[in-house]
Amino acid sequence: MSTAAGTAAPSTDPFLHPALFYRDEREYLDGTVPFVREGLAAGEPVAVAVPGDRLRIVRDALGADAETVRLLDMREAGRNPGRIIPGVLRAFADAQPAGRRVRIIGEPVWAGRSATEYPACVQHEALINAAFRGRTVTILCPYDAVRLPGHVLEDAHATHPTVIPAGSRPARDSEAYAPDAVVARYNEPLPLVTDAMTFPFVADSLPDARHAASDEGRRLGLTGVTLQDLALATAELTTNSVLHGGGSGVLRVWAEGGHVLCEVRDEGRMTDPLAGRRPASRDQRGGRGLLMVNLIADLVRVHTGDGGTAIRCWFPR
Amino acid sequence: MRAAGEIGLATHMIWERALEQAVREGEAVYYLELSEVTFVDVAGAGALAAAAGRLGDGRRLVVRRPPPTLRRVLETFWPDLPTIEVSTS
Repeated sequence: MSTAAGTAAPSTDPFLHPALFYRDEREYLDGTVPFVREGLAAGEPVAVAVPGDRLRIVRDALGADAETVRLLDMREAGRNPGRIIPGVLRAFADAQPAGRRVRIIGEPVWAGRSATEYPACVQHEALINAAFRGRTVTILCPYDAVRLPGHVLEDAHATHPTVIPAGSRPARDSEAYAPDAVVARYNEPLPLVTDAMTFPFVADSLPDARHAASDEGRRLGLTGVTLQDLALATAELTTNSVLHGGGSGVLRVWAEGGHVLCEVRDEGRMTDPLAGRRPASRDQRGGRGLLMVNLIADLVRVHTGDGGTAIRCWFPR
Repeated sequence: MRAAGEIGLATHMIWERALEQAVREGEAVYYLELSEVTFVDVAGAGALAAAAGRLGDGRRLVVRRPPPTLRRVLETFWPDLPTIEVSTS
C-alpha cells in the first residue's frame, strides 16, 4: 500500500507537504489511517493534529496503535494559526531523534474558521513550506472538499506543492503551487478602528501603554490569565515598535463580540514572514516577543508594507 | 537580592547587571525576592534564564513570589531549567 508520502513526485527537497481532499468520513480515514500506519510500521514518529471530532474518528480507527501516536485537538493547539508552526509542528518534529522521517497530519483549516481567521490560516499553510524546507518531514493536510468554500480549496492548491484529489490515492504535483504569492495576497490591510482606546507611545511611555491596555481590557471584561496575557502581548508588541518599528507607535484596545482586541501600529516593515513562527532555541538571547504573542493569543493578524506594520491580536473574554 | 518595580526595556540593563552579580557571587543558592516586581517582559525572563544557565554545578537561583507572567514565560520557553526554582511563598 502506498500513500501520500510514498508516491509524491520526486523532489530534491525531502520535505513533503501534500493537501488531502476528502468528501466524507470514509475518504478521510482512507487518506489518513494508512498514512499513520505506514509511518508506525517504519518506526517513524507520527502526530495527528486535527479538529476534535476528526481526531476521535482517527483514534477509533487506529485502535491500539493510537497509543503510539501524538494526538492533538487542532481547535485548541492551533486556535491561532500563527502558533501552529512553532507550537505544534516544529514542537513535535524538533523533539524527534534525527535520521527518521517525521509524519504529521495537520488540519488547520476547517469549515467553522471565520473570515477573520482565514487569512492567517492560509498564510500559515503557505509558510509551512519555508519553515520545513530541507527537513525529512511529511505534513499531510486534510481539506473538507464538501464544506469548505471553493476559494479555500483553490488556495490549498497554491499552498501545497502536491495534492491528493478526493477519492484518489497518489499525490500529484500542484500546478497552482505559489506559496509566496499567497502570503502576499493575504497580507490584507486591517482597517483602522476609530472608536477604540487609543494610546500613542514612545520608549518612555512603554509602561503607561501596558497599563492603559490592562485598564481597558479589565473594563471590557478580561480577568485573570487572559488579562495578564493582554498586558504581556501589549508589552512585547510596543517594545518591538520602539526597537524595530521606528521608535514609536500607536496602541489600540477594543472589544468585538467575545474578544478583546489589541493592536499596535508603527512605521516599521516586517521583512521576515517567519518572524514569531520559529521556536526559540534555549540559548537564543532575544527574539521571543512575537512568538510569545502567537502562543498566547487566540488569533494574530499582521499587515505590513511600505506604510508601516499593524499587528492585531484577539483575547477571549 | 530584592527587586521592585517593573522589568522592561528601560530596566533591562540594571536587571542584567544584578543577575550577573548573582552569578559571580558564587553562592550555592541565590534568592531573588520579586514580590514587589509588578511585571517582567519576555526579554527580562530570558535574561533570568540565561543567568541561571551560567550557574555551575550544584548552584541554583530561587525566584520568590514573581509576578504571574514571569512564571508563565519561564514555563513556556525554559520548562526544564534545573538551576531555577520558582517559589510562591
